[in-house]
Order: sequence, then C-alpha cells, then structure tokens
Amino acid sequence: MKRDEQQAAMGVSETAGQENGGRLVSVRRYDLIATALRANIASGRLPQGLVMLEGPIAALMQTSRAPVQAALRILEQENLVHRFGGRGYLIGRLGVAIEPLRLDIHTLELNISAEIDEALQNRGLWERAYDDVEAAVASCLIFGEFRIIEAELGTHLGVSRTVVRDVLSRLHERGLIAKNQSSHWIAGPLTAQSVRERFQVREVLEPEALRLATTAIDYEGITRLRVRAGHSNEPVNWAELERALMELCIFRAPNRHLIELIQHNQMPITAAYRALSRLGLPEDEIAAGEYWTLFELISARRIDAAAAYLRNHLKVMAEKNIARLRIVAVVSEAQSIVPYLTPYRVE
Amino acid sequence: MPAAIPKKSRKPPQSPALIRRRTLRVLGTDISLLEPVRARAVADLGFDIVFESLDFPSCQRKAALNPDSYDVYDQCFHNLDIVWFWGALQPIDTGRIGTWARINDLAKAGGIDKYASRGYGDAPANKLYVQPGLSLGPEPSRWIAMLPTVHNFDSFGYDKRVFGENAGRESWALLFDPRAKGKLALVDEPAIGLFDAALSAEAVGAVRFKDIGNMSVAEVDALFAFLHAKCREGFFQRCWSSAQEAARLFRERQVAIQSMWSPGYNVLGEASTMITEAAPIEGYRAWHGGLSLARHLEGAALDMAYAYLHWWLSGWAGAAMARQGYYVSVPSAVQNVLSAAEWDYWYEGGEAREDLVGADGATIVVRRGARRSGGSYRERASRIAVWNTAMDEHNYVSRLWARFVAETNARQR
Repeated sequence: MKRDEQQAAMGVSETAGQENGGRLVSVRRYDLIATALRANIASGRLPQGLVMLEGPIAALMQTSRAPVQAALRILEQENLVHRFGGRGYLIGRLGVAIEPLRLDIHTLELNISAEIDEALQNRGLWERAYDDVEAAVASCLIFGEFRIIEAELGTHLGVSRTVVRDVLSRLHERGLIAKNQSSHWIAGPLTAQSVRERFQVREVLEPEALRLATTAIDYEGITRLRVRAGHSNEPVNWAELERALMELCIFRAPNRHLIELIQHNQMPITAAYRALSRLGLPEDEIAAGEYWTLFELISARRIDAAAAYLRNHLKVMAEKNIARLRIVAVVSEAQSIVPYLTPYRVE
Repeated sequence: MPAAIPKKSRKPPQSPALIRRRTLRVLGTDISLLEPVRARAVADLGFDIVFESLDFPSCQRKAALNPDSYDVYDQCFHNLDIVWFWGALQPIDTGRIGTWARINDLAKAGGIDKYASRGYGDAPANKLYVQPGLSLGPEPSRWIAMLPTVHNFDSFGYDKRVFGENAGRESWALLFDPRAKGKLALVDEPAIGLFDAALSAEAVGAVRFKDIGNMSVAEVDALFAFLHAKCREGFFQRCWSSAQEAARLFRERQVAIQSMWSPGYNVLGEASTMITEAAPIEGYRAWHGGLSLARHLEGAALDMAYAYLHWWLSGWAGAAMARQGYYVSVPSAVQNVLSAAEWDYWYEGGEAREDLVGADGATIVVRRGARRSGGSYRERASRIAVWNTAMDEHNYVSRLWARFVAETNARQR
C-alpha cells in the first residue's frame, strides 16, 4: 500500500498523537490497527486460518482491547476475517473451509510500517491510559456514585499528575464525570431517570441523523451484513447490530457535532449494557429482530419510515433498559470496582 | 420430531437404571418454606421435595444467576421481574392449575373488590400476565409469570409501655416520634424497609412523594437526607433481617417500635401483651408471594412442578400460612382446612374462641379472647397504602439503602 493511501486509510495523517492548539486530539486507533493487520494479511505474514485474538494483538500493538475489537470488525466487513465456532476471528473468507491455526502472534514478526508504529506510539501517554480508565468509570456508573481519587489513579496508572488531569478532563468533556461542590471528581450514578432522559435525547437526535445521512449511508455494507447473517446460523447480538447501524448509517451524517452529541449521549448506557452482559444477562432476540427490520427499510431506501421505526424502537429500548437496570441491584459492586474509585458517601 | 438414531450404537448393554425417587427442588425464603408444609406435600404428592431457604437478596441472586439449581422459585411479586428478565423462568399455563379460577381478585385484578384502595407500587396484577414480547403486565392472558399464593398487609409494632394506647389513631409518624429515639428498628430489605421509612417520613411531613411506589431521584435523595439526619440524631437501634430477630429485639426491650412481620408476633413470649400491631391510618404496606417455574423444566420434572403448584393452593399449605398470620389467594380452600375458630380469628377478624396453635401445629400463638389487629381479611385488604416494590430507581435506591443499613448497624457495634 502506498504511503498516501495508507494515511488516507488511517484517517489521521495530520493530527495523529499531536496536540492541536493545546487541545488533545483523538486518533482513530482502530484504523491504524486495521491498516497494519490488513497489510500483514496481504503479505501472508498473517496466514489464512490463523486465529486472531484481541488480547495478544492488543499486547503487540501496546493498546487496549477496544480498538483491536473495532479493527477486527472492520476487517470482518471487508471479508478478510470471519467469526467461527471458537473465540476470536479466523483469517480468510467466510464459507471457505479452513482449519483454525493457533500461533503466537508475537512469533510471526509482523511488518508494521514505521508510520503506523509511530502513530500508535505517538499518541499521548494519557491516551493509552484513557480507554482503560473510561471503561472502568463507565462500568461503575450502574453501581452508584463514586469519587475518583486523583492520587490513586496516578499510582494505578504509573503516570504523573499532568497525565491524570488530561485523562480526567477528557472524561469530564465526555460527560462521564463531574465535579461536585467539594471539588471532588464524581462518577455516576446512572439512575433510571438519566437512562430515560438519555433515551429521549436519542429519540430526538438519531432518527434525524439517519435522515441527514441518507446519501452517505453505506448501503453496500448493509447488504453485506444482511447476506452474511443469511448464511450464518448464529444469532447476532443486538448490540453489535446497533453498532453496525451507527457505523454504517447514523455516524455518516454530514454533521460532526451532531455525531459527537450522539456518541457522548450513548456512552453511559452502552457502558451499562456492557457491564450487564459481562454478568451474563441473556440476549434480547426481539431487539435484534427490530434492527434487522431497520436494515431492511434502509436497504429499500425508505429512510423516513426507517427513522419513524427507529424512534419507536428507542422508546421500547428505554423501558427495557430501565428494567435491566433494576436487575443490577442483585449484583454486588465489589468485584467490578478498581482501587481509584471509592463509593461516595453523602453526609 | 423423532430423534435421529446414532449409527454407532454398538455399546454393550447398560446396567439397569437405579430406581430413584424423583425430587423437586424449591428455592425460596422462610416466609413460606416451612417444614410441616414440605412434609405434607411429600406425603400428598408422592415425590421428594427439598427446600432451600435463603434471605431475600441471596435468593434473588441465586434464582437469576443459577437457574439450573432449582425447579420452583417461591418468592415475591416485587422481585419477580428481576429474575424474569434474566430469562431464568418459564411462563405458567393457567390451564394446568386447577385452582386458578378460584384465585381472588386481589392478585388477579389488583384489588380485593372494585372499591378497595389499590395502593401505590407493584400490585401483583401488574406483573402477573405474560404479554406479547414476553414482558409482564396486567392484560389477562392464559400465561402467567408467577402463581399468586401467600400475602399480607404489614405495618409496625410498638410497645404500649412507651407509647400508650393509640387505637384508632396509629400513624406511621409514630416511628419518628421523639419517644422512639434510640428504640427504632427497620427491616433491612430495600424493596420493603424503604417503604416503612418512606411512609413514616411522609407521615411526619418531612418528604412528599408524588408516587410513593415509583419515587423520583429527587424524592429518593430527600428521603435519604432525612434518614441520615435521623441516624445522626440516634433514632435507629438497628436494621433486622428476619421476623425472629425482630421478635427478639422486642423481647429484650432493645426497641420500642419497628417494622414487624406477622410470624414475629407469634414468638414474642412474655412481651406479647405489651406489643401492639398497628393498623395505620395511612394504610398498610402490602406484599404478595407466589410460585414460578424454572426455565429448564420439561417433561416429567415440569409435571411434578405443576402438581406442586396446584397442591399449594388446595388448602393445606394455606392453613399453615394462616397460622403464622398470612393470607392465601384461594381463601375458600383454606377455610375447608382451618377449624371454625381459626378461620374466624385469622380471616374474619373475630375474637379467638379458644387458644390457637401456630404453623408447627403445637405451640399456642394466640390466646383465647384475642382479636387480630386491623379486622378481617377484607378490611385489611381494602386499606393498602403501597405494595413492596422494585421501583424504576430500584438499583439506585438499593445501593443507598445498603449503605444506610451498614451505617446504622455499624453505629451499634
């Protein structure tokens, strides 16, 4: 791949890891990782049938798992990898019989171009820490109100106060934490009321974003998704379908600000869902069916109908989310909380 | 659909299966898992039954997270949807429950009759029927999530030596009367004790709820601000977790007023003449229990479970419940089993014509001449203020409540 193409694919050519006018700019790490993996699949260093696991790739790329997850999904959409009976993804097209090949990815001597390596490493120290902290904070919200102790966070991450402040200011910007009257950083609680309010915001913003995105929607991507599901017997998780709806349709609306609003608004509810899934909450097949209906309407270019359907779907999902949140009450918080978060007591 | 016959079935013949008595596993709480009931059910039904009795939160957690560890879930409607939404249970076909038609309207329609107060919160009828899409709601259907069984209308008990006689003007406000300071206890379960606290806080005018059965975050915060203030003033003796513990607190005069469950009044011993069960002017906090079927049940095991459900409402279990002060959703079946004196005392609110025994069938728990507080079943069922409820904010409230309970009990150590 030529360098300019690569940079275009990375989507980060100008700003990767740099401070822009004093503001920290996020890079799309999953694009960097996807690009690196794609190149190594093309060159054969990552052989057909190799089992791709998030953990080892994350370790190799020195990143958290979330962007690796996203990168693998991109490669899946490109038909370079596919899911199989086991954990992870197999390299190769779906439908071609390949025996799973389990090798330590560290021994394969991948070729990671200097640009990508640099872009990955250049991301500020705070950014590498950020994902983990965000995940921990997001998953504590359902357990009530917590105070973030800055010193503990620094010790936990092994970073300076400056880095801790960068991390905290990003969390604040994304609406995951706030300062209270005593100037303590507070996370949570995620109440039924806030879930309801966030869903009301979703009902207003997301159908409208879908309308705005009409000409930018990745219709081919939707077709591929539907065809793939038609071939597979495995039930698809509704949260994955929601993510596909965001990536293929809603986040393509030509309005960055609107998309950011949507993303930030979703963050705590998505985090709560992830935390609940980890606890073993069963799949909601009805919700998955509703996403397939949505994709059908969008494929048929019936965007107004799809937007109306989406609004109703979100209304139903709000009530389901509130019901799920009640369930959390039976789960004790102890096992899920990191040391820098302490239950906040009102005196 | 016939199962495919495996081609490689050339295994040597197996030794004959051991004949084992079949066993039904019931998970629940000590509200209804009484040994005499188990023994009688085994005798009547012809299969073994094991009871596993846990406290409320452990019971819910186990029901949701280990759905294969039990066959029948014996719990309350107010925490049904937690387990239901986890997918741990299966719908019950009312067509297979012979006693279904005789279940009264308190569970089926939300009130004992059309004029009775419905109360705020989770009336069982609102969670009873399985709706299209597998949600739970009040629209009648053939399928239900839980078979309504035992229930009661709870209030508080108080010591007449401290508060005197208050007949006719007993208010939940009495819990925060200055005389209660240092002598007050609450039940520690969030979907129950919280409402005793809330009814009291509203009765003293400290908090006003728009809907006490589904509080807003602001109302919850106001309630806890009030409770923490009362805690600092030294009002709370402790939070208890069983009716036996509550009775002990009264017997030892550690408390003068507290949340109280019916069986607790039966084990007060000498103190029983000094302790009064209030019939609050604001109304009762009601609750309703029931039986649900585990998701994994099928075939013969499912048949056993249905047989147990049907048996449970056929009278004998209901009579055992009545002797600890609880009502059952098919009162007519219970009347056939109780003596006339028992029926008149427990269900009709009449004076005890003779000494009456408790659920163990031996210990005398009601002395001749006594009269049940609050009157007859119909009178009590008509005065529901609020049902035990897992509100929308249940998770938020439960965590605040757990901290409050821990703090209250820590102060006493």
